[in-house]
Amino acid sequence: MNKSIAYTVGVIALLIGLYGFFDRLVYGEAHAAYGSFVVWGLWVAAYFFLGGIAVGCFLWGSLDLLFGLETFKGMGKTALWAALVTLVAGLMAIGFDLGHMERIWKAYIQVNFHSGVAEDVWAYTLFGIFTLIALYQSCSGSKPAKVILILGLIVALFVAGAPGKLMGVNAGRMYWHAGLLPVQFLIFALTTGAAMLMVIFGLFGASDKAARSFPVLTKATAGLLFVNLYMLWAYYSEGLTGNMPSVAEPIRMVMQEHAVLFWLVQVAVGLLIPLVVLSQSRTAANPALVGVMGLCVLLGNLVSRYFILVPAQQIDLLEGLSSAFHGRGYTLAYTPSMTEWAVFLGLIGIVILGLLIGADYLHPLCQCKSQKEA
Amino acid sequence: MIKFNSMTRRDFLKVSAVGTGAAFLSDMPHVCHAIEKALAAGDSSLFEADPTKQIHTVCLQCNTGCAIRVKILDGIAAKIEGNPYSPWTLWPHPAYKTPIKEMATLEGGICPKGQAGIQTLYDPYRIVSVLKRKPGTKRGEGKWVTISFDKAIDEIVNGGDLFGEGRVEGLKSVRALTDTEVAAKMAEAIKKYWDEKDKDKKKELLAKFKEDFKDHLHTLIDPEHPDLGPKNNQFMFVWGRMKGGREDLVHRFVQEAFGSINMNGHTTVCQGSLYFTGKSMSSKWNPEKGEFDSGDKFYWQADTGNSKFVIYVGNNLYDANYGPPQRVPKATQATVDGRKFVVIDPRCSKLAAKAWKWVPIKPGMDAAFAMGMMRWIFENERYNKGYLAIANQAAAKAAEEPNYSNAAWLVKLDDKGNPTKFLRASEIGLVTPVNEQGPDGKPVTRYVDKAGHKYPGDVPVILVDGKPVAFDPVDEKAAPAVGELLVDTTIADKPVKSSLQLLKDEAFKYSIEEWAQISGVSAEDIVVVAKEFTSHGRKAVADIHRGPSQHTNGFYNNNAFNVLNLLIGNYDYAGGYIKVSTYDRNGGKKGQPYPVAKMFGEHHFKAFGVDMLRTKAGYEKTSLFDGKYPTKRPWYPLASDVYQEDWASIGDAYPYPIKVLMTYMCGAVYSLPASQTVIDILSDTKKVPLHIASDILIGETSSYADYIFPDLSYLERWEFHGSHPSVPWQVENVRQPAVSLPGWPTVKVFGEEIPMCFEAVYLAIAERLKLPGFGPNGFAEGLPFTRPEHFYLKQVADIAFGHKEDGSDSVPEASDEELRIFLEARKHLPKSVFDPAKWKEALKNDESMWRKAVYVLNRGGRYEDFAKAYKGDKVAHPYGRLINLFQEKTAKSINTMTGKHMIGLPTFIPPGRDYLDQEIKDEGYPFNLITFKTMTMTKCRTITNYWLLSILPEGYVLINSADAAKLGIRHGDKVRLASASNPEGVLDVKGGRKIPIEGKAYVSEGIRPGVVAFPLGFGHWASGAGDVDVDGRLVKADARRTTPLHGNGVMRVDPVTKNVGLSDLVGGSSVFYDTKVKVIKV
Amino acid sequence: MVNSAFAAETQQAPAQAAPVSAPKQAPAPQDVLVRMHKELQAALKRSQAERRWVMVIDLRRCIGCHACTVACISENKLPPGVVYRPVTIKEVGVYPKVSMEFLPRPCMQCDEPPCTEVCPVHATYKNSDGIVVVDYDQCIGCRACIAACPYGARTFDFGHNYLEGTPKGMEFLLSQEKANAYENKVNIEYGKRRERNGHASPVGNVRKCHFCLHRLEAGILPACTTTCIGRATYFGDANDKGSLVHELIARADVVQLKKELGTRPRVYYIY
Ligand SMILES: Nc1nc2c(c(=O)[nH]1)N[C@H]1C(S)=C(S)[C@@H](COP(=O)(O)OP(=O)(O)OC[C@H]3O[C@@H](n4cnc5c(=O)[nH]c(N)nc54)[C@H](O)[C@@H]3O)O[C@H]1N2
Ligand SMILES: Nc1nc2c(c(=O)[nH]1)N[C@H]1C(S)=C(S)[C@@H](COP(=O)(O)OP(=O)(O)OC[C@H]3O[C@@H](n4cnc5c(=O)[nH]c(N)nc54)[C@H](O)[C@@H]3O)O[C@H]1N2
Ligand code: SF4
Ligand code: SF4
Ligand code: SF4
Ligand code: SF4
Ligand code: SF4
Ligand SMILES: [Mo]
Repeated sequence: MNKSIAYTVGVIALLIGLYGFFDRLVYGEAHAAYGSFVVWGLWVAAYFFLGGIAVGCFLWGSLDLLFGLETFKGMGKTALWAALVTLVAGLMAIGFDLGHMERIWKAYIQVNFHSGVAEDVWAYTLFGIFTLIALYQSCSGSKPAKVILILGLIVALFVAGAPGKLMGVNAGRMYWHAGLLPVQFLIFALTTGAAMLMVIFGLFGASDKAARSFPVLTKATAGLLFVNLYMLWAYYSEGLTGNMPSVAEPIRMVMQEHAVLFWLVQVAVGLLIPLVVLSQSRTAANPALVGVMGLCVLLGNLVSRYFILVPAQQIDLLEGLSSAFHGRGYTLAYTPSMTEWAVFLGLIGIVILGLLIGADYLHPLCQCKSQKEA
Repeated sequence: MIKFNSMTRRDFLKVSAVGTGAAFLSDMPHVCHAIEKALAAGDSSLFEADPTKQIHTVCLQCNTGCAIRVKILDGIAAKIEGNPYSPWTLWPHPAYKTPIKEMATLEGGICPKGQAGIQTLYDPYRIVSVLKRKPGTKRGEGKWVTISFDKAIDEIVNGGDLFGEGRVEGLKSVRALTDTEVAAKMAEAIKKYWDEKDKDKKKELLAKFKEDFKDHLHTLIDPEHPDLGPKNNQFMFVWGRMKGGREDLVHRFVQEAFGSINMNGHTTVCQGSLYFTGKSMSSKWNPEKGEFDSGDKFYWQADTGNSKFVIYVGNNLYDANYGPPQRVPKATQATVDGRKFVVIDPRCSKLAAKAWKWVPIKPGMDAAFAMGMMRWIFENERYNKGYLAIANQAAAKAAEEPNYSNAAWLVKLDDKGNPTKFLRASEIGLVTPVNEQGPDGKPVTRYVDKAGHKYPGDVPVILVDGKPVAFDPVDEKAAPAVGELLVDTTIADKPVKSSLQLLKDEAFKYSIEEWAQISGVSAEDIVVVAKEFTSHGRKAVADIHRGPSQHTNGFYNNNAFNVLNLLIGNYDYAGGYIKVSTYDRNGGKKGQPYPVAKMFGEHHFKAFGVDMLRTKAGYEKTSLFDGKYPTKRPWYPLASDVYQEDWASIGDAYPYPIKVLMTYMCGAVYSLPASQTVIDILSDTKKVPLHIASDILIGETSSYADYIFPDLSYLERWEFHGSHPSVPWQVENVRQPAVSLPGWPTVKVFGEEIPMCFEAVYLAIAERLKLPGFGPNGFAEGLPFTRPEHFYLKQVADIAFGHKEDGSDSVPEASDEELRIFLEARKHLPKSVFDPAKWKEALKNDESMWRKAVYVLNRGGRYEDFAKAYKGDKVAHPYGRLINLFQEKTAKSINTMTGKHMIGLPTFIPPGRDYLDQEIKDEGYPFNLITFKTMTMTKCRTITNYWLLSILPEGYVLINSADAAKLGIRHGDKVRLASASNPEGVLDVKGGRKIPIEGKAYVSEGIRPGVVAFPLGFGHWASGAGDVDVDGRLVKADARRTTPLHGNGVMRVDPVTKNVGLSDLVGGSSVFYDTKVKVIKV
Repeated sequence: MVNSAFAAETQQAPAQAAPVSAPKQAPAPQDVLVRMHKELQAALKRSQAERRWVMVIDLRRCIGCHACTVACISENKLPPGVVYRPVTIKEVGVYPKVSMEFLPRPCMQCDEPPCTEVCPVHATYKNSDGIVVVDYDQCIGCRACIAACPYGARTFDFGHNYLEGTPKGMEFLLSQEKANAYENKVNIEYGKRRERNGHASPVGNVRKCHFCLHRLEAGILPACTTTCIGRATYFGDANDKGSLVHELIARADVVQLKKELGTRPRVYYIY
């Protein structure tokens, strides 16, 4: 039942997405709402978000495949597949975001390695390759080669923090220029990776083997959520107390202008509720509930990524700069456009369908299949 | 394609310094070489530096008329720059003789509107076909059909049932009087009638007229009032923005060919009272008559660059005026040099923001401030006594003063002590009349004094050592006259005062504190400014513009500041108050090759009669005079081109109804206050039976026309833009075709193919009506006027020739190289516009003259060398004659609404009065509405320039923060304006559209509390801002052009006449700043 | 005279040497634009490495007119939303003591530019003239450089046109198709002529002020400089000891924006 709903949702999302892809490919970025101040909007947030999930899944999966932890036994392949699916969707997100995606090859051949973007391109590529090899190996029956997994792990750790670095290097933007940002992103990755696995296993029926990981997975997630919460507090309270406009303003914007999204979705739904639910053994044992909590965490995390990314760009770098000129994209205001939402939904559709198809058709890849047979 | 080029040294160092191990793959910017190679090859960048891709012409994005250079790539106007030859764009400007090749990479400065002119040229909404109001639809409904040029001309010439509304009279029948000889005789007879003062003799003359012209009475508008003139006068031409060349052509067409007296410009919407104060103050002494003749319609401005102290009064120099490119560099230089300036303005303009002092005066109280200053100046005796005492040209010459005033002349007072006229020497027996024979044999009266000196006419009187002395004001060789300044006495039982004493009395009507209170400033401000003003000799100056002028008391505000300048004697001085100087383009100077204004193939028409605006003849002289006041509508004895009065007079058919109205580059509906009144009249086919417009798009005004003829934009056409008072050099800016739009239609007139344009309309009508002054023998036998350049190139030749009869003042001939560049640069123009053979023909194929013209055209005009503008501490082109402190002509003129005499010297009258000179109270409307220009906008014209809209996309209501707080209005809130004459705050533009007069509030510290202001340029409903239907196809409006707000629609309608906004009945100004409004939060 | 360091400059300027009061031997007065134009010709004779382009903006003389902004748009055919030299306006003070501050902001052409290091493909870099350029054919449009610039000096070309939405195909009007050539056919940035169509660069690229490199190369001063009606913008080779800019940047009241960031801007402001 869950699955048919999920398929329906996935197909609808993809259909909307196709319109978005079409629009983006034909009209370029003309219909995007991000601009010259908010240069990175929903798609970049989605890229960070999906990339983070991918890395997180990989890291969790390596507990099985690389470290052979008993509790996680049997979930490695699923994790790798989830990593691959979200990675592809994430890369599509960033691809659409590029003004000239057809030139992406330049980032390999004419690369500037000082650039965070270049690092990302390379790291994600390597990460993708390692994931693919590991997945291939684990699907073809053999155990993935340790060296691949280790390299993958290293790259994954790097990639996890990369978005943080990408933003953090911008010394002109105090809000981002915090050394802790990469660490935060690593935590995000681990949290969302776990959440993704909880969704897969919780909602779509985990095999007994996978279910064994629940007590640990949920506790670990709860722990991560706590760290998330702690960091949020540290970041916001420091920023607000410091009262430096370039730091405090984005925070105020989030807490006031986007109060519902922040307090309700990011904090309550995305952090507090799952924290409570997942830290209680009783509730953490209910797979469906765990799955739903996974969704909540994902949702909350998406919002939190967006809030780290976007409001910081809505601050004038020079007083009056944004009102010195008027024109499409020359504005601090940002609400994702229809096209952006459509593309975003398309990517979500791809993730949903990718996961389901993996479960249903790529038999050896997914343990869900064996569960179905059971 | 990808090359792994070696990196530059610097880049290498950088890379190795960073020293990442990853450098192995790093390709250093191959691209940097790509860019550098492209630059070196300079494939297309060089077009910018190529003189054969440049044409010098003149901007018309606003009326400053800066000299520009259009850079052309593949026939496309790619970029506009400042033409470096001109004093508009460089200060000082380089030598005129510099070869154009050497100038190709030097550029001068122009403003953002000038830059954006490309978007006026390439406006997708520009019309390329003649449009006719769709028969069966109403004016303003926005429904049009296309019609061929020839058919349209036939229709307007012949008339007929053009719109299914019955017969419309065409131009042919309106031009009832065609016999130019009869017209000339009639004109003379009418003049005689008007000049006759005796009532009975006047009657006789009228009867005689009817008898003499009995065969022609049917050609008159009203045989009972023959002085209304021929029916020809029922063709009326009204223009908004028009410059030399076209203006001369219009004169030729309307008056001298068609025979209508009615051609009026827009002066009073602009700064009319400023011009007409200048006219009154420059009124000339006629020595034969012993009376004043008319003065010149002009005004003075500060010599910005050389002043040590300037008071800018209602002058918006950093956003508008004439104009930023030529004046701003001088003003900002003053800032860095530490030379002070003050800005008197209710609003903190950008100029005020940068001033030493901003004086936020109460709107319209400018004269009070000036009076306060004068009082201080009198009290402290800081006026220039030596200069003011000079009473005639001879004394001025002796003292090496460039000009003189009538400050010392004695004025007679009436029994109430009010000034009437200058005392004449004959009245107190200083001279006695003798009759003799004049040079032409006619009897004349001369005046002889006791010493036997003979004056050509009666003369004025000054007091010298307590004794009255007669003197000749204008004769340079006469005895120098230097008079006592403050005279208040009685001579031969006649109470008299000197002009200066009269002024002093005015200034002493109130104390400085009281003047301060009236003008809403502090007494200290008045004193400090007065002190500074009188501390820099002749290098201080007050520079006034629209702010003081566009009030019901505008004339006297301007007058007060002009006289303030007079008190320190700064006229014609470097750093003082100076006048314009241009080259004659009409062959008025001896030796000039083409006196075009006088070159007619056949007899030209002498237009005559009372003009629609009643500016050319005094009411009392005409047959309409019945001894009663008020008249139905005001007469304007001192002003002309009273724009607001055009429509109201048409509306009231006073003095007579019109039949055909032609408008040109006219934005009246948008630009005038009380817009509704103009719309209502223009949409009424009874009042305006036929309305023909020339426009480049369906504009705010042309949308109420019956036919719109497409025009060439300023970048495609000819004109002579002239100059402004603040420019001390003798110049003439020549506008010439720089580009041509792809596929622009052409028409055939007199067998010639020319572009469809304004000139084409006149040539075509002239061809149909066989008008004199046009056609194969238009200028003279065998000298055709069949193409626009036939006219304009002759004017270029006159300019090139200059002012010296022997030609020593003429420009050099263009060298072969310059000629080559000239031809090359115009290669992209179609033959209909540029055919070198035809151009040369216009100058009778005179090679020398042709080359001189080319020399001028290559430079976009003629500009005197920088060093020649001054002689010592004075300007080289001075005004140089009598300046009227007391204006006798003004004092003699009667306001026909009140029947009272006007006042002939500065005086304080409160602003905001109706046509009967009654105070308008408008209680419940607490704010004083004013308006201003912003740098990026010109009138209704620049809404088409999207580049400019990205700087400021919409208008707003500027309101002081304290006022806003009281009304609970925050920055950005939407507000509506309403006034007593527009309580709803909406403008009904017809066709079912009503435009609310609302926009965002701009809450600021920079405006006087109690005053609200809005910038000009937004709130459109045509010009691409309204949907129209052409041939059944919908042309959608562009939302960017509909942004709010335009406040003219809420401006006060005159409560007396009810169909026009308020006016300054003395200076003619249309009133923009005296409306009381409510600000309503919506 | 406000400041002695400025004396050398104003000595050349007309107000000081106005013909009225000019001492006999005074140098012929010339517009500061003429002087800079001459200096530019001389600078172009030196090698790239020997010259150091800088811009000086005298805020006392800036009147916030935006001539520079629009000149730049016109010169570089910037599409909607793209601007190289905005001018900010700030009202200061309380009625009736009110003033305004205007700040034109071209690219600072930082000597330590944070914007170039973040570019993944070397599309933006400091060229040998020291100008931070963008290679449109190289740029992938990731906008990392926009985020990195602390001055907001970069904007993105989303492919819009100013004439978008205007009437098309109406034969009685000029119509968009015939009107838009100026917008689509004459971009010559970096000396390369580009037609604006579809997704071709510079659409999809980041764009920024380049000190009008293509004009410099042709011996013409930057468009914002020549059209600055306040005469507030000065440009030239700071390595030329006789140049105006060399003189000006030595003034005591010269500042750089956000100097504390260590970006070492080549644009200086006089307050
Ligand atoms: N940008 C731009 N420039 C232009 C034009 C344009 O349309 N746009 N048009 C050109 C033309 S045709 C003209 S006539 C000139 C006009 O040039 P200006 O007269 O210099 O310009 P305006 O903005 O009309 O000036 C009116 C000024 O007077 C102030 N003011 C209003 N009421 C009063 C008052 O009662 N007393 C005083 N002292 N000041 C008052 C306003 O706040 C404003 O600053 O500009 C020319 N230049
Ligand atoms: N609120 C407010 N109103 C003002 C002012 C203000 O400061 N504030 N200023 C006033 C001043 S100073 C003036 S001078 C007046 C000016 O007012 P107007 O003289 O009435 O002229 P414009 O508004 O310039 O309108 C000219 C019209 O001509 C048409 N046109 C444009 N280009 C061409 C062309 O090349 N050929 C032809 N044939 N037609 C063309 C267009 O339809 C345009 O609307 O406005 C006044 N109105
Ligand atoms: S001031 Fe007027 S004429 Fe001069 S460039 Fe600007 S718009 Fe053109
Ligand atoms: S101002 Fe910004 S874009 Fe320009 S060089 Fe500096 S960092 Fe780069
Ligand atoms: S947007 Fe272009 S120039 Fe900027 S960092 Fe990305 S690739 Fe480089
Ligand atoms: S230097 Fe050139 S590119 Fe830079 S702001 Fe000025 S005009 Fe624009
Ligand atoms: S052009 Fe000059 S005066 Fe005008 S805003 Fe730009 S820098 Fe300031
Ligand atoms: Mo005007």
